[in-house]
Order: sequence, then structure tokens, then C-alpha cells
Amino acid sequence: MSVSDTLMRWRYRAVPDHLLGEILTKRWIDNAIPVLILMAVVTVFGSAIPDFFGASSLANLLRQWGEFSLLVLALMIVMVAGGIDLSVGSTFALGNIVALTLMSVAEWTMPAAIAATIACGAAVGLVNGILVGYLRLRAFLTTLVTLIIVRAIVDMLLLKYSVAIAGGFIDSDAWYYLGEGFLLGMPFSVFMTLVIAAILHLVLSRARAGWHILATGGSRRSSHNVGIPVRRVVCITYVVSGALCALAGLLFASRLGGAGADTGIGLEITALTAAVLGGNSLGGGRGSAVKALIGAITVMIMVNSMVRLGVSSGANSLLLGLVLLAAVAIDVRWLKNRHKLLSNVYVSPTFAPLPPAPATEGDSPYALNDKLRPVELIGLGAIDGPEDVILDDDDHIYAGNRTGDIVRFLAPDYTEQEIYAHIGGRPLGMAFAADGALLVCVGGMGLYRVTKAREVEKLTDETNRSLFTIIDDSRLRLADDLDVAPDGRIYFSEATVRYDMHEWPVDSLEARGNGRIICYDPKTDTTQTILKNLVFPNGICMTHDGQSFLFAETWACRVSRYYFAGPKKGKVEPVIPNLPGYPDNINRASDGTFWLALVGMRTPSVDLSMRMPGFRKRMARRIAPDEWLYPNINTGCVVRFDETGQILDVMWDLGGENHPMITSMREHKGHLYIGGISNNRIGRLRLDGADTGWTGPKSYWGRT
Amino acid sequence: MIGAVLRAIDNLTGRGDAAVTVPALDGALRPNRRLDEARTRWPLPGVDAIAVLFGSPVASAGTTLYRLADGTAWQPWRKFNDRIACIAAIGDEGLAVVLDTGDIFIEGGSSEGRSYRVPEGLRCITAIATSPTAIFLANGSATNPAPDWQLDLMQRNASGSIWRIDRVSGKSQRLADGLAWPAGLALDGDTIVVSEAWKHRLARLPLTGGEPVAVHSDLPGYPGRLAPAEDGGAWLAIFAPRCQLVEFVLRERAYKTRMIAEVPRPFWIAPSLRSGRSFYEPLQGGSVKQLGLLKPWAPTLSAGLCVRLDRGFQPTASLHSRADGTTHGVTDMAEHQGRIFFAASGDGVVVACDAGTGEEGSLL
Repeated sequence: MSVSDTLMRWRYRAVPDHLLGEILTKRWIDNAIPVLILMAVVTVFGSAIPDFFGASSLANLLRQWGEFSLLVLALMIVMVAGGIDLSVGSTFALGNIVALTLMSVAEWTMPAAIAATIACGAAVGLVNGILVGYLRLRAFLTTLVTLIIVRAIVDMLLLKYSVAIAGGFIDSDAWYYLGEGFLLGMPFSVFMTLVIAAILHLVLSRARAGWHILATGGSRRSSHNVGIPVRRVVCITYVVSGALCALAGLLFASRLGGAGADTGIGLEITALTAAVLGGNSLGGGRGSAVKALIGAITVMIMVNSMVRLGVSSGANSLLLGLVLLAAVAIDVRWLKNRHKLLSNVYVSPTFAPLPPAPATEGDSPYALNDKLRPVELIGLGAIDGPEDVILDDDDHIYAGNRTGDIVRFLAPDYTEQEIYAHIGGRPLGMAFAADGALLVCVGGMGLYRVTKAREVEKLTDETNRSLFTIIDDSRLRLADDLDVAPDGRIYFSEATVRYDMHEWPVDSLEARGNGRIICYDPKTDTTQTILKNLVFPNGICMTHDGQSFLFAETWACRVSRYYFAGPKKGKVEPVIPNLPGYPDNINRASDGTFWLALVGMRTPSVDLSMRMPGFRKRMARRIAPDEWLYPNINTGCVVRFDETGQILDVMWDLGGENHPMITSMREHKGHLYIGGISNNRIGRLRLDGADTGWTGPKSYWGRT
Repeated sequence: MIGAVLRAIDNLTGRGDAAVTVPALDGALRPNRRLDEARTRWPLPGVDAIAVLFGSPVASAGTTLYRLADGTAWQPWRKFNDRIACIAAIGDEGLAVVLDTGDIFIEGGSSEGRSYRVPEGLRCITAIATSPTAIFLANGSATNPAPDWQLDLMQRNASGSIWRIDRVSGKSQRLADGLAWPAGLALDGDTIVVSEAWKHRLARLPLTGGEPVAVHSDLPGYPGRLAPAEDGGAWLAIFAPRCQLVEFVLRERAYKTRMIAEVPRPFWIAPSLRSGRSFYEPLQGGSVKQLGLLKPWAPTLSAGLCVRLDRGFQPTASLHSRADGTTHGVTDMAEHQGRIFFAASGDGVVVACDAGTGEEGSLL
């Protein structure tokens, strides 16, 4: 291996390129930019202001933050449903004056005053909600009008009660506890805000009501079409918003105990800045409580720090405006470009060199011949893509097709066919269980069983989640081939956890160990991953010792043996380390050896590209998938080998006229039946000298 | 400096020179199967150039000239000691035959036995055009011989030249230099039209010498020889199609260098006269056989394409053999009395069509 190849190998071992793309597929990545902005703000002002992190400074900031966050949460709820609420500042002021008036002038009891205040805010929200939700007025204008009206009401109340409030005294420790007390070491308002945020988070992410809100914001028309009461949902968001604003005003009242004309003025812009800066989309459908909290912290720090730095209030507003503008721009650009970025970085080929390919001429064991020329064709033009074929005790042929059926060709002449069962997905590898049920790996669905009564049952579609992977690998995406151990446990391969069935060419570009082998135990109904990081594991076949199976790794061009029992338990041994083509299914032959399908042949151009991951990555980005360099799967062959990996026989069809693609083969009573995933036929070849009584089910279960 | 930065940005984003787009087959170049549907097919393995002498077609394959003896099969006519680079009929004076050695012989007409020499140092003659007073030659590359055209493309050379040989004095004169594999010539008044293969364009040169001016650019394939059409205009053989993957490889210096060094040439990712014969050749996604069929629209490294050009050298019609066709790698053609003969080098066959309304349908 050359120096550059060695460097390349280490570079691709050291840097896990695929993780970046996987992180970008996560929903929480939307929080990345807000968190970065928050960190930048903390760094800048933390270094510019002495004693920024001091206890008194923090406590003061926290109390304000508690009230302010409630406003941002209120706005967030409305925004997520696709609206906007500009009246939050006025409702906040209304909550303040109402609470103070009820407590000190009317001298209500505290619970009654709190309930009345919140009801007052909710009433304002209800007006907004009816106007915007039911009468379908524009949210922006409507809430602008309520902003003015509520502000006018507050001014009128101020005129009437401000002197009385200033003169009165509230004799209630509980009342002051709201604004000044501590709970669990934090100011009460902060505690309450965190609790409300947690509830909102749970509602939005876990509850039906929250999903309705998100759906309404994401697409109002679609939500209406699926039966969500869009108008009611919108109305409710405004009511919740109004109630939360009034609650914030109540906390403010308790903390400061005074009513001024400037309370809550301009607060709607500050709250809006915080909500958008936190990553809540102005367009609706995208937002969370955490985003609102992050945005609130950022804006709070900015505003307070500007004041402490002695910047004039005009400059403060200017800064807020600029930040809002920038946040809106980032919001729009991120939403628009995230998918582009993802598609650019998700495909991440790795350095995957193969040893020089064995020759296919001269005295090579793989030398070309024409042994598949006499193949008879079954169901020509009547079957679409039989990836695997299997025969039962009565000689019927079963094959999966592209539309998710298991098709049965009836013995003895196979001219008649019927749909044996419809599973859906893409049926791939098959095997018979001891009781005669057909076990099927279904691409896109998982492991299924078709009983003799033709009932389709799901055995498993998930396995244990790996601890240290970013993408969730618990669901089965591409169950490929399976075999059954003597004790009934089913071992099956999942070719890749990063791509779906139809995206297998992308996995071939990556050639990373994205696949795994999984064991399903029918006795305990449990599924467990047993081998990971395999390069497109494909065919699986039990050896005759009952302790191990053979498995093929397609892009690695090798066949290995795994021991699941016995003295070598847990070990993997190479059997055929270097094939001239891409191995697919493996099945038993009548003389104790094994059949292996090579779905395609290695080409020098692809082998070279395997050493140049950058080339493959750029290819995936630059040119259309139809133009990509593929492994050559237009020509394949059937190989027979023994447990030591010795090649005993090779069967070719030169020109590929008769049987263009071979993904599987099954020996049955002296004949070989051949399947191909993009073929429109099943091949049948007489095997000279083979045991004409041998069948797969007999070999596995000893039945006669 | 700024140029280098812009190139780096282009490389990163796949814009400008780094773009791998290939023009669609549309308009006059809409795909059809006319080359495959031609009923008259005469196999001739290795056929390269074709001309019509005294009413009957003459074709070159390797070192031998063939004549269509009784209209049914090719018969060897003349044999030379080196590969025949190209041929052209000079009225009834005979057939000008250019060899890779640099000799030009006039065969089988009133000027039989005359000979000329190609200027020293030219070893890559790709095309010839004749006038009553002169012979015009295209030299594809200054460094590679003609059979190494794939290598010359991979090296992205532009070292070809156009020459004029006076038929009286035998003196030669260079008309143009620095062309990207000139592969076809057609005289047009006092200018000569050249097909510049690696730049996918037709360019016009004054016979007195000067800078080439593009006549038609951004062809979807590599233009080769030009042949005069009987009612004005010309025929253009496009000997291989362009394809995104090849355009991409051409811009991938590291891969290209290693491919040239490590991969046997028949298995390169490069256009060819005939592809898909060996499973060691590169395969592209759309070329995977589905239900036993290779789709005609599959991306391919070889195809058959011949274009009819009007008097202004703009395409008006075309004949195709698509990915699944059997008439790939058209390198030359000749028209005679409403009948056109196409030499499909890739599949080793000469096919004939009627130019007007005929059994194969009207072309124009």
C-alpha cells in the first residue's frame, strides 16, 4: 500500500464523516444556532461587564427572566400555531394593574385575585382568539388593535386606581412570596416558569393537543383536511397566551408592587425578538419551549447588559431591532437550506480498498464458461423481481416480488402461479421454519412469517438501540436474508442502517460497515443485534455443524463464518476473503457444500474509486444517480464452495441473455432454481450428478 | 490569482468550468433508431473511413481498402503496409488514401500512382478534405497517435492542427494550431469548417489561415468527420456521446491520473466506439438491466449518431443508435445519389439509408 493510501486510511479512520450528516437529520439540530448565539452573547458581555456572573447580578436577572420568559412562551405558543400576538405587552400591563387593584384596593383574597387576574388575561386572549381563529381576521392587525385597546384600558384603570394602589398596603406574606421568595434555591418566578415550560414542552411534543397546534402551524389546510378543528386550535393558543401574559404581570406586581404608565411598553418587540432568536419559526409549525427559553435568556442578557454598560435607551432599541432582523433572516435561510446542506453532507464514502480481484480466465477457479446457457425460464414476463426463490416439500416455488407479494408457482410444470400471501414492502430472503411456515425478510418492514394457513405475522421490526450511534438504529430498514438455527432462532442480516431499500446504490458508494446481523428468538420473542459494522451483509446460511453460519458482505466481496455456539462462540472467521464479484445469497448444496450468488462483478474503475473516497463523494454530489459509477451488476455467476472456502465450481452465463442478474439460487431435487432482484423470470437448471432426492427442508429439518 | 480563487470556488460548487452538464438530445437531435432500423447492413469489422468512388462505396478497415463488389459483401481491394488514417474521393481522379506513415496515395482513378507526403512530425491524421488544387488534413494531436484518442481526451490536450498541401508543388502550410482534436474537415467556399472534438464544436477557418470562429457549439457528443451532402450542407459523424460521468472524471485529476496508470484502457471511464461488451467495463446506474432489458435511454459510453447539417452548418436532422442499439461508433459517412453510407466502427458494420423519402422514412 502506498504512502498516500496509508494516509488516506488513517484520515478516514480518524474522522467519522458520516456523523455530521446524521446530526443534521436530527430535529434538535434546529437549536444549534440559537445556542451558539447564546454562547456568543454570554462570552461578549461576560467579558465586557465586571462581576457579570456575580450572585446579586444573577439573582436580579433571574427574576426578570422568569416574568419575561412567560411572555416569550405565550408568544411561542401562538407562533407555533401560525399566528402572532402583539398584545402580550399590554396584557402583561393589564395583569399587573388588575392584580394590584384587586389585592390592595378591593382587598380580595389572594387565590381569588390570582384567578381573576388570569381570567382577565384569558379574556383578552379569547377576544383575540375569536377574532383571529373564528372570524379569520389577520393576526397581525387584530392583535395590534387589541394592543392599543388594552393599553387604553390600562391607562384608564391607572388614572382611577394608581393613587389608591400607591397608598394601600397588602398584608399577605404569600403575596410577597410570589415576587420575592425562593423555592429550591431559585426565585419562585423562575421555578414557576420552568414548570410551565416543562408542561408546554410535554404538551407540544407528546400530547394530542400539542400535535394539533404544531400541525395547524405547519400547514393549516392539511390540518383542516385531516380533521383537526383548526379554528378552535388557533383560538385556544390565544387564550393560553393571554393567561400566561396576565400571570407574568401578576408576578411583576408582586415583585415591584407599583403601577406605572410605562409598564410593559415595547415588551412585545422584545418578546418577539426572543422567540424568533430562539429558533421559533415566524411561519409556524416549528418551535418549542426550550427554544423560547433560550431566546429569552439571550435577549434578557443583551438588554440588561446594555443598560449596565450605560448605553442610551435609543441605542438599546436599535440593537434589539437589528437582532430581530438578523434572527428572522437566519430563520428563513436555515429553513430553506437545511435540506440542501443535509443532502450535501449525508453521503460520506469511506476508504474501502479491496485486494486485487481474482482473474476470470485461464486456470483461475472463476474461469468463464457457459454452464448457465441451458437454463429453462419459469414465469418469464409474469414475475417482477424475484430476489429469492424457495421450494417446499411439494415442489412448489415461492418467490417475492416488487409489489410485496409472495408468489407461488405450482408444481410440476410451474406454468400456473398464484399470490400466496401479500405482505407489502419488498420481500427478500426466505427460509422455511421447522413447522413449515415461510419466514421472510421484508425490506422496509422487518422479519415476517407466513404460516401454512397463509396468515401473515410480524415477527420483529426492531432491535436494541445502539448506545453510541446518532441515528436511531432500532428500527429495521433493510432486512435482507435469513436462516434458521436448529434451535429455531432466526439469524438475519440488515444490509444498512443508514439507507432505505431503494437507496442501496448510495450505500455501495459509502462502502462503510453500515450493516449488521440480528438474531430473533421466537421462544422469548426478543430481538438482539449480534454483529455490527458489516459492509452490506447479505446472504446467510447455516453450516452443517449447528454452531455457525456463513454470511456474505457484498461491498467487501467476502464470505465469513460466525460461531453462535460451541467452543468458538462469538468468533468470526474469514472463509472466502476475496471474491471477483459482489456476493449475495448463500444456500446449501446437496453434497454438503454451499451455493453462492455473485450479483455482479468487480470492475477496475470501481475498485480504484474504492481507494478514493473523495472522488465518490464528489460524484454523489455532482452527477445524477442514473449517471453514477455502479458496481457492475449486469453480469453475475453462481459459485459453489465448501466450508474451507475452496471454490469448487463456477457457472456463468456469458452475455447475460438468459439470466441477466443472479441474486439467489436454491437447489431442489437435482435442479438449481435461480432468482434475480431485477429479473422478470426464474431460472431452472438441471444439475448433473446431484442427489435428485435432496431438498432444503429435509436438509434442515430431517423430514422426509 | 483571482482566476485561481474563482476556479477553486467553481470546483467546490460545481459551477463554471467544473460543471458537468451535458446538453440534452433535443430539437434536431431528438433520439430515434434510424441507424438500427436501416435494412441494408454490410458487416466489416474494424471499418473506419468510407468514401464513394465511381458510384460505389469504398471503405477502409485497418490496413486494407474494401470495395462493395457486387453490392452484397465487402471485398479486399488494396492493401497497404500501415493503418489507413482516412480516405477521400477527388472527383474521378481517384481516391486519396492517407496512411499513418504519412504517405498519401491516389488510387484507382485518372491520377492513380501520384503520391504526396504529410509534413514531417505529424502522426495523428484524423480527417482529409480535397479541392481541385489542394489537400487539407487535420492532425488530431501533436503527442498522441490517432488510435490513442481516449488518452488524448483524458489529457485534455489541445495540440491539433490543420494543414494545406498544394497539389501542384506538394508544399505544405499550416492553417491553424492549438485545436482540441480536430477530427473532421469540410470545405465551404473560401473557408474550411473543422469539428473540434474535445471542445464539442464546429469552427470555421479562413483558407488563408487565422483564428477559428465557432459555427455550432455545445454538441452532446464528440464531433468527428464531416462529409459533403449532395444538396448543400454536410453530414457530421458524432463518434461518441458525452456523458456526465466522463465529464466529471475529466475534472478529477487524481482519479484520472491513477486510472490512466492502473486501469487497462478498454475498461476506462471514457467514451468509446463500442461499450458494454465486457463486465470489466464501468457501469452506470441507469444502465442496470431491468427485467432483462437495457433501457434505450440508459447512460452509455458509446452510441451511434450522425447529424445532417444545413448550409450554415446547423443541425436539421439526425440518425441515432441508442444505448441498446447495434450501430455504435459512427466514424464516417458518404452520400451518393440520395443514398448515404454510414461506417459504424464500433459495431464493425456499414449501413445504408435513403436520404429522401424511402423505406426508412424521410430524413429532411
